[in-house]
Amino acid sequence: MNLKEMVDALGLEVLTAEGMAADGPDLEGGYASDLLSDVLAHAPQHGVLVTVQVHMNVVAVSVHAGLAGVIFALGRKPDAAAQARAAEEGIALFASEEPAFDLVGKLYALGLRGSV
Amino acid sequence: MKTFRANLHVHTALSPCADDAMTPPALAEAAVVAGLDLIAVCDHNTADNVAAVQAAAGAAVAVIAGMEVTTSEEVHVVGLFPDVAAAGAAGAAVGATLPESAGDTTAYGDALLMDAGGQVLGKAARVLSAASGFSLEATVALIHAHGGLAVAAHVDRPSFSVTSQLGLFPEGLRFDAIEISAAGVRAGRDAAFAGLGFPMITGSDAHFLCEVGAGQTTFEMDTLTLAEIALTLRGAGGRRCYFA
Repeated sequence: MNLKEMVDALGLEVLTAEGMAADGPDLEGGYASDLLSDVLAHAPQHGVLVTVQVHMNVVAVSVHAGLAGVIFALGRKPDAAAQARAAEEGIALFASEEPAFDLVGKLYALGLRGSV
Repeated sequence: MKTFRANLHVHTALSPCADDAMTPPALAEAAVVAGLDLIAVCDHNTADNVAAVQAAAGAAVAVIAGMEVTTSEEVHVVGLFPDVAAAGAAGAAVGATLPESAGDTTAYGDALLMDAGGQVLGKAARVLSAASGFSLEATVALIHAHGGLAVAAHVDRPSFSVTSQLGLFPEGLRFDAIEISAAGVRAGRDAAFAGLGFPMITGSDAHFLCEVGAGQTTFEMDTLTLAEIALTLRGAGGRRCYFA
């Protein structure tokens, strides 16, 4: 499953669409946390993060962790400056009204795993 | 130039997680016993017990009006204000974003408003242990707008710190200082933060009377005022501060 297929499957709102080509590479895992120190230490390379943390540092930490994209749960959205930074850095950002628990459950059912 | 010993981060019984024995007179006495010249009262998301501690302390120890804000990212930021009015105004802005409290005793404990004698006047009207509606950047701006100094609290700790919540220090944040916990100073963890370029202080984040004397920072400056502390943090005119 790549980012485009994930967006279609979960009905996500696309905030920044970097790296979201229909023939883009498959996601290699997923992670859920609101503590960015934890994301930095444990998120899988080329994975997707599910979080309610909307601080600008989500983008910087995603770059360091090598994440492909971030889903913001529960209707939360990072501000315009963070979205612009994500576009510059090549990090795809998505938003959903659903709680993180439900999003992670769906991603798991689609085959993504946290330990890769 | 004089030498002052300071603990710029102590709580009172108004902080839900602090011991109810942290009354204004007990806190003032503990500060004197610990040899402190200066403390900053920094309850969670409120400054409403500061005036009582100042009255209880009298001339025995100087009391800075402070507040420890919980940002929307659950980062703790200490604000040190020029006076009670400024701290109170900032505290009112923060308080307006917190859930209302039914005044019940919670798992976090009671949030007790007290007078200078340590008598209980009532309980906080807001849930002080909650995260405020102010982002980290907005919190620093709020503190500065009220003439205060913004200090990133216990940056070496694995909870409620800039580093634990945000992974990295965000670019462009105008902290006036960063605080290393007392345990962090003992363990030499300050070295990892020296490269950030912020002045470093320590404070004990005292929630119990026995912790008031830990985490002392020595200030070499002229007088016991917030303006002098600001000059000292910038190293102006030969002023300096260091872990005591």
